Amino acid sequence: MSTDMGGMDVVLRHVTKAFGSVVAVNDLTLEIPRGLFLSLLGPSGCGKTTTLRLIAGFEQPSGGDVFIQGRRVNLVPVYRRDFSMVFQNFALFPHMTVANNVAFGLRMRRVPPRERDTRVQEALALVHLAGFEDRYPKQLSGGQQQRVALARAIVVRPTVLLLDEPLGSLDKKLREEMQVELRQLQRAIGITAVFVTHDQEEALTLSDRVAIMNGGRIEQMGTPRELYEHPATDFVANFLGVSNIFEGRVIARQEDGAARIAIGPVQLSIGWEPGLEPGAPVRVAVRPEKIRLGLPDEPGGLPASLRHVVYLGATTHFYLEGPDGASLVVHVQNVSPDTGLWAPGDWVSCHLEPRSVFVLRKR
Amino acid sequence: MRHTSWTLRIVTLLSLVIILGPIAIVILVSFSPSDFFAFPPRGLSLRWYYEFFHIASMRGAYLLSLEIALIASVLATALGTLAALFLARRRGAVVGLLNALFLSPLVFPTIIIGVALLLFYRRIGMPILPGLVLAHVLIGTPYCIRSVLASLQAFDVSLEEAGQSLGASPLRTLFLITLPCIRPGLLSGWLFAFIVSFGELNTALFLTGPGVTTLPIEIFAYLQFQGSQLVIAAASTLQVCLVILLVVSIERLVGLGSIVRSR
Amino acid sequence: MEWLTRFLRMRWAAVLVLPPLLFFLAFFVGPLIYLFFVSVHDVSQVEMYGTRLTVENYVRIAGDPFYLFIIRRTLTAGLAVSGLSLLIGYPVALSMVRMSPSRRSLLFILLLFPLMVSNVIRAYGWIAILGRRGVINNVLSDAGLIQAPLLLMYSLETVVVGLLTILLPYMIICLVNALLTVDRNLEEAAQALGAGPARTFFYVTLPLSTPGIASGLLMVFLLTLSAYVTVQLLGGAQSKMLVSLVYDSVMTFVWPRAAALAFVLLAISLAVTTLMLKGIRPQRVQGKG
Repeated sequence: MSTDMGGMDVVLRHVTKAFGSVVAVNDLTLEIPRGLFLSLLGPSGCGKTTTLRLIAGFEQPSGGDVFIQGRRVNLVPVYRRDFSMVFQNFALFPHMTVANNVAFGLRMRRVPPRERDTRVQEALALVHLAGFEDRYPKQLSGGQQQRVALARAIVVRPTVLLLDEPLGSLDKKLREEMQVELRQLQRAIGITAVFVTHDQEEALTLSDRVAIMNGGRIEQMGTPRELYEHPATDFVANFLGVSNIFEGRVIARQEDGAARIAIGPVQLSIGWEPGLEPGAPVRVAVRPEKIRLGLPDEPGGLPASLRHVVYLGATTHFYLEGPDGASLVVHVQNVSPDTGLWAPGDWVSCHLEPRSVFVLRKR
Repeated sequence: MRHTSWTLRIVTLLSLVIILGPIAIVILVSFSPSDFFAFPPRGLSLRWYYEFFHIASMRGAYLLSLEIALIASVLATALGTLAALFLARRRGAVVGLLNALFLSPLVFPTIIIGVALLLFYRRIGMPILPGLVLAHVLIGTPYCIRSVLASLQAFDVSLEEAGQSLGASPLRTLFLITLPCIRPGLLSGWLFAFIVSFGELNTALFLTGPGVTTLPIEIFAYLQFQGSQLVIAAASTLQVCLVILLVVSIERLVGLGSIVRSR
Repeated sequence: MEWLTRFLRMRWAAVLVLPPLLFFLAFFVGPLIYLFFVSVHDVSQVEMYGTRLTVENYVRIAGDPFYLFIIRRTLTAGLAVSGLSLLIGYPVALSMVRMSPSRRSLLFILLLFPLMVSNVIRAYGWIAILGRRGVINNVLSDAGLIQAPLLLMYSLETVVVGLLTILLPYMIICLVNALLTVDRNLEEAAQALGAGPARTFFYVTLPLSTPGIASGLLMVFLLTLSAYVTVQLLGGAQSKMLVSLVYDSVMTFVWPRAAALAFVLLAISLAVTTLMLKGIRPQRVQGKG
């Protein structure tokens, strides 16, 4: 049964997965268009790996439907779904050579031997492992094993490529190299990829879109920039980078459509959103690099006292205590030598850039 | 501390002597040139080995023991592998019960198994040889289960998942991926079942019969009723040699330490 | 339609577990049930067993002083063998734990190897040592220390010694496995708190090894109960044990009585197992008690 899903390679509709009394995935709806590199990002236990395994078929949904290329696959067993997967620990078959590992999927699909060999060669060349055909996995380094796993997954030309924290066991430098290679490969082949990670930097580096998950739900999905600059909820604001959170009140709706809000003694105009009625309380967040520190008597800023200063070469991090005892973090690039003049105990004023103030919706 | 460690070393050495000594004596005796045993030995001779191969009942018992051990160990490995595959990754009260059931012949007094099977076989008219083979299958299966389970527990599930993600059905995954990877467990289980069957006494006591004797039972009968005992030494040494051969094989394949640890 | 996938997956599980399960039911559980069934029937001259349900076979055993004497002797021997194997085996296990892994593997092989040699051969080894024309008598008479050969065989002591040396490897292996799981850090922590080697052993190492002690004692005791050939060869007619009676009984073909005797042996095994586990309580260490 196939339905036109509008170019969506993978669709999850109201999918729920419970293990006994633990709900790992809670009423999740997700649409992934063809050729997209999507990362599922979140802390451990948020349900990202379970979601991946639901797409693969290693888990059956307790509720809802999973579609791959328009076909409902709830009851289709793993080995009949059109996808392939790269595992965290590579899962290379130790008793087979590199060539046989890569050829395995083609064997299962009954590809004739000659074509099989050609495609294996191509795949190994793509991952820069030409000539490694007769080696065994235990003779390879971590990075090489990872590339064999990748070759094995792409040689079968699947619809969807699933990756379960594949770079987790590599060291930093290797990981960064592999991230670049992976992305280039995905773009070159044009395959749809779903990538699970808990490393936000990795997700932001690799993806077209990121879905941040928490407690079995998607908190927010969007481009890396959208998520960082305009987090929708507390969780997203705090998961990606650091945020300073302020409680304020809406004063009025301006003629130009903006909303006038007050945070302590400071008033600013920010973009209006539904829910910002005059008199209503509002929670906003500002990124540490978007606050400017000024002298204590400079008007238009929030007063704060400096608690702790950390010099990091390119930037200086200031830890402050705001008006109602709230902790604030400000990152300043060490452009001007003046930043070295402030010391703990000093009073400063914090100036918020209105365009960088975003409203938080509590979950 | 040095004093303590010397005591420990002496006790260990003495223990090894009293454990291995009797076997060493038997081997020594088998080369005795004379009719009776003289210590220290007055020379070496292979006469008892010639005699062993000349006595039809002895030779026959040895061959039959080999035959039974071969068939029983293969069947035990098959059943044990199936059971281990089932038990490996499941939890629950039923699984715990089955686990206990399948491993119980290890701690169950084998003499009672012998008696029970004797009665049972009489009731259903089971012929002697198959009955004995099946008894040895029962006794050997737990060893195979333990061995295969140990291998399965070290085997990474994601390898099976990888196989399935590449399009292999559960059956193909089993044969192409799982079984090759747990080969050490399969082989060592098979060897254990073989050795256990070959030396088994307590069920063979009741289940052997006219024309169907195993080597241990033949040796036992000789010790009880026959005078010429030294041919026993030769028969025994041959069994010991077989065991040594098989133990070395297991060690080469798997490394005994890993199997013993699961006790 | 979810039930369909669940049904298909269960079919797989059934394919795996049914053959061994059916085999065990047919050739293990079934015969045992049948044995009990026979034991609670009266004796018959013509058939295997009579038609009347009765516990008279068990009553006979319980009331017969001879049986009770043999049972007492069996328990004594069992306790002696297990106790001695623990006393001797523990120091060996301790030294094995402190060895390098390769040395330890070698010792494992040396201990495993005799376990695979048939018991009849190991008993024969003791006959060759203790017999009238065995090693000891040969050496002593050659040296002129004795005139007539010593009678070292056919006593309870001989049986105990024989069984001890045959079953000692089981005990050692159980203990070594348990001791290997004792975290070295715990011993070091005790020493850092001021406990010397002896106190560390008694307060830390020994208690933590109780699972190994329990399984070793149990294994050795149960194997002693079942060791017909060794008892027969080394003990002779003077030192019969319960297992000998079972064998003799079976050879008379009086099935109900033989069956009852077999179950008495089984009952004793279960009783001792329960008592030992209750007494030593290895679950405390395993984290379940």
